[in-house]
Amino acid sequence: MKKKWTLLIMLMILISISSLAIADETEENNEEEDEYQEETDGENETQGFDIDNETEELDIDNVTIKEIEIMNNSLGAEIRLLQLEKAIIKNLLKGEMAVEVLTGLDYNTTGLEEILSEMKNLLDDVKAINTSSNDSVQLFVEFKIKAVNLTKQFRETIRELLDGEKLKEIRERIREMISEDLENCSKMIRNKIKQFNRNQLYKLYGIIGEANSSFVNEYLNGNISVAELKLQISKTINQMNKERKYEIFSEIKEGNIKKKIHAKVSFEGMKNKGKGNNNGHDNGKGNGK
Amino acid sequence: MNKKIISITFLLIIVVSIAIVYSYYNSTDTSEKQFDSSIETIDDNVVTEEIDNTFLEEDEEIEIGEMI
Repeated sequence: MKKKWTLLIMLMILISISSLAIADETEENNEEEDEYQEETDGENETQGFDIDNETEELDIDNVTIKEIEIMNNSLGAEIRLLQLEKAIIKNLLKGEMAVEVLTGLDYNTTGLEEILSEMKNLLDDVKAINTSSNDSVQLFVEFKIKAVNLTKQFRETIRELLDGEKLKEIRERIREMISEDLENCSKMIRNKIKQFNRNQLYKLYGIIGEANSSFVNEYLNGNISVAELKLQISKTINQMNKERKYEIFSEIKEGNIKKKIHAKVSFEGMKNKGKGNNNGHDNGKGNGK
Repeated sequence: MNKKIISITFLLIIVVSIAIVYSYYNSTDTSEKQFDSSIETIDDNVVTEEIDNTFLEEDEEIEIGEMI
């Protein structure tokens, strides 16, 4: 009888221990997760100050990374370089008009003119980039940073010369700008983007497995906007069965993720290289002064 | 009589323990299944978002800041 008792008690203990062990395991996992969460929270808190200080720079970096995503082919590179060209032309025109107004008011504009002259050289450099060359992305990032820094310098210099009221007045005067260069640049960009979107559309049609050439032509002729184009493609995919939709979505997502990773890696590479050569964001500032 | 009652009690405890362990494993299995099925369901908005990322806006510009 005693043996039976012992066996029963042993069995009970075994079952209790196994259930306790299972419960403990899940608790340990939860504790580990909590600890990890606390650690990461702590790290974020200690770095909070630096994060605040670097937000502006990070914003510029994130936008630039997004911009270079499409520069893996010459058409994408052409679009981004033309857009940079347009941004510089726009600021050059505004700067020249501001200098003209200031000269009329007998202000010393030597500093501003020097910045504008550097901006003109920068514009020539941007125009001279070969879009098919391997270093076009690197040059784009480098020249964009230079353009941002020169613009900032001009803004700071003019703010030292004029008070808020006069700045507002000049801002109003140069708001309406008409320039042939700017118009031509805008037209070229629009055409290139149309070509780019057409290529993207054919790529999507390749994934979906059906093509609608008349729809593409409608877009190229300007009868359909990009928004309508996107809507139509989304509708086509969303109307498919669950499995097909999943397949297509995965392929599109994969392509987009690959582009993002490639852009981020090449940007970080450029940044590190720039830091190594002591040539990063200070590059534009150094040249600008 | 006492012995019988004690044996039945122990048996009951064992059965309950087994039931608890079984239900524990069973419940984790179902949650995994639910997770798997959620992966396969794609929201229409997520597809639209990916399509948006594929195309460029024609009036898109590069920001280098304001001169004044």
